[in-house]
Amino acid sequence: MTELLEGIRVLDLTSNVAGPFATKLLADYGADVLKVEPPDGDAARREPPFFHDEPHPEKSALFLHLNTNKRSVTLNLEQAEAREIVSRLAADADVVVEDFAPGRLDGWGLGWEQLTAGRDDLVLASITAFGQSGPYRDYLASEITLQAMGGPLHLNGTAEREPLKLAGHVAHYHAGAAAALAIMLTRLRVEMGGAGDHIDLAVYECQAGFRDRRTVFLTHAAYTGRAMHRPPAGSRFLSGVRPTPDGYVNLLVAAPRHLDEFLALIGRADLAGHPEFRKTVVDMSPDFAAEVEGAYLAWLMSSSKQEALAATQAIGILGGAILTTEDLVRDPHYRERGAWETIDHPMTGPVEYPGRQLILSETPRAQARRAPLLGEHNREVFGDRLGYSDEQLGRLRAQGVI
Amino acid sequence: MTANRDRHGLPLEGVRVADITVVWAGPHVTQLLGEWGADIVRVEPVNRIQPYSRGAERIMPREQAKRLAAAGAAAAGTPGYPDDDPREDPWNRSASFNSHARNKRSMACDVMSPEGREAFMRLIERSDVFVENNVPATIERAGITYEQLRERNPRIIVLRMPAYGLSGPYKNYRGFGTHVEGMIGHHHLRGYPDMTPEATGEAFTADAMAGVMGALAVTMALRHRNRTGQGQQIEMPLAEAFLPVLGQPILDYTMNGRVAPPQGNGHPWRAPHGVYRCAGDDQWIAIDVGSDEAFGALCRVLGDDALAADARFATPEGRWEHTAALDAALGERTATWDKSALFHALQAAGVTAAPVHDELEALADPQLNARGFFEQLDGPSTGLQTYPGLLFHLRDTPNRLRTPPVRLGEHNEEIYLDLLGYSREEYDALAAKGLIGTRYPPALLAAPGASG
Repeated sequence: MTELLEGIRVLDLTSNVAGPFATKLLADYGADVLKVEPPDGDAARREPPFFHDEPHPEKSALFLHLNTNKRSVTLNLEQAEAREIVSRLAADADVVVEDFAPGRLDGWGLGWEQLTAGRDDLVLASITAFGQSGPYRDYLASEITLQAMGGPLHLNGTAEREPLKLAGHVAHYHAGAAAALAIMLTRLRVEMGGAGDHIDLAVYECQAGFRDRRTVFLTHAAYTGRAMHRPPAGSRFLSGVRPTPDGYVNLLVAAPRHLDEFLALIGRADLAGHPEFRKTVVDMSPDFAAEVEGAYLAWLMSSSKQEALAATQAIGILGGAILTTEDLVRDPHYRERGAWETIDHPMTGPVEYPGRQLILSETPRAQARRAPLLGEHNREVFGDRLGYSDEQLGRLRAQGVI
Repeated sequence: MTANRDRHGLPLEGVRVADITVVWAGPHVTQLLGEWGADIVRVEPVNRIQPYSRGAERIMPREQAKRLAAAGAAAAGTPGYPDDDPREDPWNRSASFNSHARNKRSMACDVMSPEGREAFMRLIERSDVFVENNVPATIERAGITYEQLRERNPRIIVLRMPAYGLSGPYKNYRGFGTHVEGMIGHHHLRGYPDMTPEATGEAFTADAMAGVMGALAVTMALRHRNRTGQGQQIEMPLAEAFLPVLGQPILDYTMNGRVAPPQGNGHPWRAPHGVYRCAGDDQWIAIDVGSDEAFGALCRVLGDDALAADARFATPEGRWEHTAALDAALGERTATWDKSALFHALQAAGVTAAPVHDELEALADPQLNARGFFEQLDGPSTGLQTYPGLLFHLRDTPNRLRTPPVRLGEHNEEIYLDLLGYSREEYDALAAKGLIGTRYPPALLAAPGASG
């Protein structure tokens, strides 16, 4: 079966989340991704949680998840001989992805100019926090600081408390997907007879261009001169998160066209057409608002979160339930659709992972191969492909090159 | 799609995209494709209001917007027209819509009507890609299936991105990105560890991810079609496009049976790691310390010998174990600092830190402006305005936003007459029926009520 990205060769020098997610997306849909790790491995290999909570470079959930379908070689880029090998591998690659500090690759003699000597079809993607230029180019950054300055962090949480970051590594995942997009756009041009290019992707700019409220409210602010603020918890009439006996729902009841049916649902059909509903939120009588909210909460406490969701969906109200990870993995919807994929691994045995994101009618994604062991493909790549003998490989190992 | 004449041309030049997307996620896909050269043709009804797209279901007079803003109403409380003024065409002035609507064309067309469906199908014959993100029942009601699309254009690439998929129990569940975000476990994870999800507020992260993933999916499918001639349908629910972002907690559950609790601003092993109060109203700085050196530098910048000498905080393990005490102590000290001054002082000392920026601060940010992130576009409905720009740059392919936010039906004539081959008489007949135009019927436009 043909895969979407068959025949694209990617040399991946990245670690942690953004770069590896970009190359995971490419690898999962058929590209041949060769991951170059330092001898002690991608830093993600050291990130908990681990399988059975045993810290081990082959047992990190993050690493196992982000590196499916890739091969791994080890190279210590501080050493000249390792850099020479990277240069040879890059010569054979269609795409090189890196996430070193700006200028680092140039300093190693592996920059854009050197890698493109004699060719103009290379796609080089550089992923950094702030980009290859600008006053903050060399500033330090991490997930929480990039969300704070770049993204909508100030809107998460409630007015009474400190603002909250989004969970996990959202900014870096988002930037990784954007990097995969940039790579594929540029590669598409190369395959149509155009030139390659050097992609300059800043996680910070991806946060500024984040469709999750940032671009919308940046435009809003540019139009009105006003910034947004975190609303106090529960402050939105008939809208937002509310409790049920077994968890929470998040429903947007407040749409006029569903109001009468909603009032009937919560046992207050008598309030249909009440003049208070025609007022704006700030003008509505607090007693009236409290009465409606009280009936709503009482109704919610009479059913489960899924029942409340199903009943409100049935009358066209937008909403969802607040699922835990356990709810999610057990949920019949995702299970029935085959959203999960079981991947076997020598250190963990078979484990369920998030599977395909795309259902492709003509080129379905193949079953994923497990993440590689550290340096698992050293012999295959350095020996079989580059022609190093066992003896030479032994020397490189002894010298700490691989 | 023809070969690029310019070897450094925009990659999607010559690609036409038929777009019947709504709300936030779908329009973001076509925004990204348009930014890199595709011709986006937005197909939108003018005889009825498409909810939550151009904001026409909820037109707010200027005085009311000013009053709501003064009362500090909830974040998305006002439509955000330029200067809060709806003027005579508020549907061309909505900040939410206009934030994605650059580089697009618009044709008035109601795919629910037989005439509109035929115009849409003619557009499909002349397009490379079709993108939609409606509830599946809506597309079924319009009688649009992949089989029919393929009959009219065997090479068409179809991206369908409903919230939950074209099958399964949630198939026709309606929701925005913030609801999808709850249904895949992100809302729960991003809460305060000591409060219920009621305090978490809404986020639309699923829209942001799905937009980028959808544009990637289309680009990958175009690549495959270039090589094989084969189009295809891609089904990408918002929910499933977001699942990989949660791979770590999901594997913690499938490997270890652990149900991850709300994470707040904490980190699984680093401390301090959080958002700390600074001088002023609602002013904050994010600080992330991963080493003894960085912690020492943090204490030096804050001028705090006591903190540096506190035995509880002498090691990474100790700092993590005593996170609550450390956060409280730090918060007291940062509270007297200006966040920007502290940011630069900490960066100079080698500490990872950044101020929490609201939208006005982001618009003034030196880094974003030095790199030309913001761009200005001038249009008849909005005037000259500043917009967020591109997610990434290509070194040898200078790229700018090309056209201002598209107005309703702005390109009716050139699309119906020039592209789709309608005669002037046919065009006029559709206009007379109210299916082509540039304004919604006045009867549909009402002022918002409390529930808006």
